[in-house]
Amino acid sequence: MTTVQTTPPPRLPVRAKAAARHRGWGGVSPMLTRLAEERATGVLVRERGTLHLAGGRVVHAESPAAPGLDVLLTARGTLDPDTWRQALTETGDRHRAGHLLADGGHLAPGALEVCRLVALYDAAYFALAPSSSPGRFRYAGDDGPGCPCPVPVAAVERETLRRRDLLHRIWPDPATDEAPLVRAHRPASPTPTARQRAVLERLDDVRTAADIARDLGRPAFHILVDLRRLAAAGVVAPRPRDPAPIPPSVPMPVPVPLPPHLPMSAPEVTDPHITLLLRLRDALEAL
Amino acid sequence: MPGIDECLLEAMRLPGARGAALVDWTSGLALGIVGESPGDDHETAAVEAAELARLAAEQHAFAPEALATPEVPEVPGAPGAPGAPGRPEAPDGGGDPPIEDLIISNRDSYHVLRFVPTSFDSSVCLHLWLARSEGNLALARIRLGEMAERLVLR
Repeated sequence: MTTVQTTPPPRLPVRAKAAARHRGWGGVSPMLTRLAEERATGVLVRERGTLHLAGGRVVHAESPAAPGLDVLLTARGTLDPDTWRQALTETGDRHRAGHLLADGGHLAPGALEVCRLVALYDAAYFALAPSSSPGRFRYAGDDGPGCPCPVPVAAVERETLRRRDLLHRIWPDPATDEAPLVRAHRPASPTPTARQRAVLERLDDVRTAADIARDLGRPAFHILVDLRRLAAAGVVAPRPRDPAPIPPSVPMPVPVPLPPHLPMSAPEVTDPHITLLLRLRDALEAL
Repeated sequence: MPGIDECLLEAMRLPGARGAALVDWTSGLALGIVGESPGDDHETAAVEAAELARLAAEQHAFAPEALATPEVPEVPGAPGAPGAPGRPEAPDGGGDPPIEDLIISNRDSYHVLRFVPTSFDSSVCLHLWLARSEGNLALARIRLGEMAERLVLR
């Protein structure tokens, strides 16, 4: 038997700065670009998350799809959940709670900064996802946090586009990003990495990428990257929506030619004869 | 107890340091950048460093899982966190890779990528670019190791 190769790691894309300049706006949300220009302060509410702006810069981002700073810090015991709750009660928001804990010596400033930035870009990726409804902006008073934390809107926009591109290059089908996931057993699946194995162990036909991220206390985008790689390897698939009962007298399906840019992937089949034939084919190909 | 920028500025004080960055090696995001970058492009340098780090961290030959740190790293003297409530059901749930650093030597420079072990789930590394004529690789390795530890420890 030949050894099975894992999917070659995709090249991480580089942000296309020239293209963004040419367009004249970040390419994610014209409204956000305008808000950055007018140095607005307030909250941008979009379909899949919110961005908090202070003076036209991003101070905080939230999305139901991405675990917050608190989850990242408490999931593996870096911070005691009670300590966090107490800080949150005292300060009223996550950002200030983080600073309070770092000032009080409960948390290394570096650890806070790493988690905060990772969580911000993570949530912003989802908040800035293409949406079907327009975003709304609520202007607020000028009470942004008095620390050098904010991130320029342009950086968030570029990073979001770069991340979309990264996922697309790994595996162009976004189905694993949101759907409940199942583990597909293939005869010769590649060996997952340790981080991928942690994701695979949590697949139970119900959990989605966001659930797994919360469960592991890991940024959701990291989970998406691993899931797309596993989907490309044929190990993970979205749960079929409604398994339509196949009538007994089904004619032979006409093979549909795949789009040329997609690698060949095994179709979803349950018929034992077809499964046997597919395994036979895989084995012959592996000779 | 430094933040990211203080840590990177400290790295820049090493002899021959040309640039330093803190990079998330899963996404390719640069969490902080100080000094020059190879090719004068911070973002591309971060992306390429991330790619190299990830490749090394995921290969069994370079990062055997037997050496990986356990899932729940010890949190020294964590007040009110007895036994650090981790997730014992996932002993291999992505502990830090066993690699400490990667070194690339060029004709004119060195690159040192230092993995930063964290008590939370992350994938970050320090990238230091050193001029070869003035840089001291051994010293840089030791200092980067200390900085990586101080960055995330209380």
